[in-house]
Amino acid sequence: MGRYRLHVNGRQRVVDVPGDTPLLWALRDELGLTGTKYGCGVGACGACVSLVDGAAERPCVRTVEESERTRITTIEGLSPRGDHAVQRAWVELDVAQCGYCQPGQIMSAVALLAEHPDPDDAQIEEALRDNVCRCGTYPRIRAAVRRAAELARGER
Amino acid sequence: MITRRAFLGTAGVLVVSVSVPGTSGATSAAGALAPTVFVRVDRRGRVVATVPKPDAGQGVRTMAAVLVAEELAVEVADVALEQAPGDTATYGSQAVANSSSSRQLAEPLRTAAATARCLLVAAAAARWGVPPEECVARAGRVEHPRRKALPYRVLVSEAAALDPATVPVTLTPPERWRLIGRTRAGRADARDIVTGRARYGIDAPPSGSLVAVVARPPWLGALVSSAADAAALAVPGVVAVVRLDPPAAGQGGVAVIASSTAAALRGRDALRVGWTGGTPAADSREWLAGLESALPAAPAADVRRVYRLPLLAHAPMEPMNATAHVTATGAEVWAPTQDPGRVRTQVARQLGLPESAVRVTATLAGGAFGRRIETDPVLEAVACARAAGRPVTVRWTRDDDTRHDSYRPMSVHRLSATLDADGLPVGRSHQVATWPLTVNPAFDNPAIVRLSGNHFPYAVPGDVSVTLRPAPLRTGFWRAVYAGQFGYAEECFLGEVARRGGHDQVDVRRRLLPEDSRLRRVLDVAAERAGRAGSSSRGVACHLDYGSAIAVIADADPGTRRVVRVHAAVDVGVAVHPSGVVAQVEGGVLDALSTVLGAQITVRDGAVVQSSFRDYPWARIGDCPDIDVRLVPSTAPIGGLGELAYPPAAAAIASALAEGGDPVTGMPYGAPVG
Repeated sequence: MGRYRLHVNGRQRVVDVPGDTPLLWALRDELGLTGTKYGCGVGACGACVSLVDGAAERPCVRTVEESERTRITTIEGLSPRGDHAVQRAWVELDVAQCGYCQPGQIMSAVALLAEHPDPDDAQIEEALRDNVCRCGTYPRIRAAVRRAAELARGER
Repeated sequence: MITRRAFLGTAGVLVVSVSVPGTSGATSAAGALAPTVFVRVDRRGRVVATVPKPDAGQGVRTMAAVLVAEELAVEVADVALEQAPGDTATYGSQAVANSSSSRQLAEPLRTAAATARCLLVAAAAARWGVPPEECVARAGRVEHPRRKALPYRVLVSEAAALDPATVPVTLTPPERWRLIGRTRAGRADARDIVTGRARYGIDAPPSGSLVAVVARPPWLGALVSSAADAAALAVPGVVAVVRLDPPAAGQGGVAVIASSTAAALRGRDALRVGWTGGTPAADSREWLAGLESALPAAPAADVRRVYRLPLLAHAPMEPMNATAHVTATGAEVWAPTQDPGRVRTQVARQLGLPESAVRVTATLAGGAFGRRIETDPVLEAVACARAAGRPVTVRWTRDDDTRHDSYRPMSVHRLSATLDADGLPVGRSHQVATWPLTVNPAFDNPAIVRLSGNHFPYAVPGDVSVTLRPAPLRTGFWRAVYAGQFGYAEECFLGEVARRGGHDQVDVRRRLLPEDSRLRRVLDVAAERAGRAGSSSRGVACHLDYGSAIAVIADADPGTRRVVRVHAAVDVGVAVHPSGVVAQVEGGVLDALSTVLGAQITVRDGAVVQSSFRDYPWARIGDCPDIDVRLVPSTAPIGGLGELAYPPAAAAIASALAEGGDPVTGMPYGAPVG
């Protein structure tokens, strides 16, 4: 066991776990941040996507040890009131069905828009390629990413 | 016969309960208990609806909010929703099955909310000394042209004191609907979902719960012969190792219980389990060959084709899980389930307790698709919690979930047709060889399987025969159940017959459907939306089931073989929440695309080969075609929806790929099956 300092959603947190513990389980079990979802544990579904130093990463295949000295943002850290442009677009276009994959989809979209404020379809498909949705919300996700880009630019 | 009851609940709350038996007309195996809904208005004027069935993405919670808001003259967002605990004695059937949520719940929900509204209006009218017909409910108040409007909250006590039998209840007529079929409100839980606050089963364990993961049979049917647990127990955080014997404690295995998920997983890695029995040599290719050889002799025909369909897993995004706390006198369970009432009954039986000692909380479910009708994860959690004496949550890994499912059965379909001089079918035969659903004994019956699968809507005389062979692994309900296999084969075959005869795919179906039928109407709408095929390869299919009708037209790019556009037109009677109706059709199309393009489960050396979305490749965003869904206006009663789109969408997509390519011979398209 070891004590690892994690910088999560703007706060310093300490977890007391073995260093090879997947970041996902530290976030969920130790820090109670259950918005980050478990879907596969092998980096194959994107349900847990969160931001690590601003980039979309998969906490299920990153260890706690290698996550020290990074800045982690989970869905809870995006905007608790849900007023981030991506969250607003998701609600406006009624994207979710079961909703379970959506925190991961949203975090992938946030990372995409940070890099490409006005993404084309190919960039959207590339950025969200490994975010699986089992309910079939892809058409709305595509539209919502474009809508989020508009909202972020201050368009109505 | 509607039973309705109004009473003053605790703290001066107006409560209306409504039960409407036999509204679905469904052939559900899940039982025919009438669902009962509760709508209440509290002293603050707040409207609360209790939703008897859980939401796994099908949108039953949103539908409830829309219906109650309509009849109680408030906005959708003004309706607070409570999820009913598992309790069939109070709520009737709570099963999310057979696309029945709207058919079973819409009428009671509307009636309950309308009863509450009429009681509130009657109370206001009595207070004012005016006829109730002169009063209207609007925006959470009762209004009269010559009086000062009264908000619901001041009328609650007086309304609850009225005998509902003396107050005539009128439902809001369709021409005055503000919300039903019109609302632009989104999903009820949307804000919780986008902020990460939504609680699924995996998020439900009370703090301090232990976590269990289970070492599961490495080949089908294997039983535990020995378990060396010393190394597992030595892993920091591991507190117990518990043997789970099937069927009382689920599908069987050895559970490692620990203080955290990571510790439980490490403990499972350290466990050494010996296994015995089962079918270590099983191979799904041999199973398929066995089904094919079970088909009866082929009839004489002009055209014949055999379709081979694979095993499918449900693979909901939220893997199986459940949480239980067992005490000396009772049990509490938290589960993402399609049937909380069934969970309660089974847990009570497992523990030898009366049902009243078992409390079941139905959480949101991260997808279900039929898998969560089964209760095996709950039985595991209860067995672990009983052994641990503390709350335990059982977590399945994705690998567990993929390899220990209740799979859609394999099937082989031989279709034969006799043709007239124009090449149109005038006689048909559909011979099916498949397995029963082992999770429900009622399906060990060819007549029941035929009833589930056979919805052939066209005017072509003929027969459907079903041959059942014993299932070599656990099989269960998968979205659309047998219709997903029968309908796929029928429509792919009709597509091939039409192609051979040089007939247009839409035209041939129009000629075989009754004029003025719902199916022909949706087909015409889809065809109009789709326009001319141009250079695209096109597939067409229709489906009539659950009291609803749908037509799907899929267009593929003949060069890239990519499905680029799907047009669907659907008549569900009343589309209560239009965005949700469109979503269910989109979902059916994506399931169809995924299974036609390559997702299948195979078995080698007794074990399921696939283990995650890497090798059970569900469609990704880049595979997704443009999907255009039209809701066709209708005067039909409200129909079912959740399973409607899958069969025709799969057939239309496969047929589009086959036009100008190899014919469809099964599923996935163009791939070896099994």
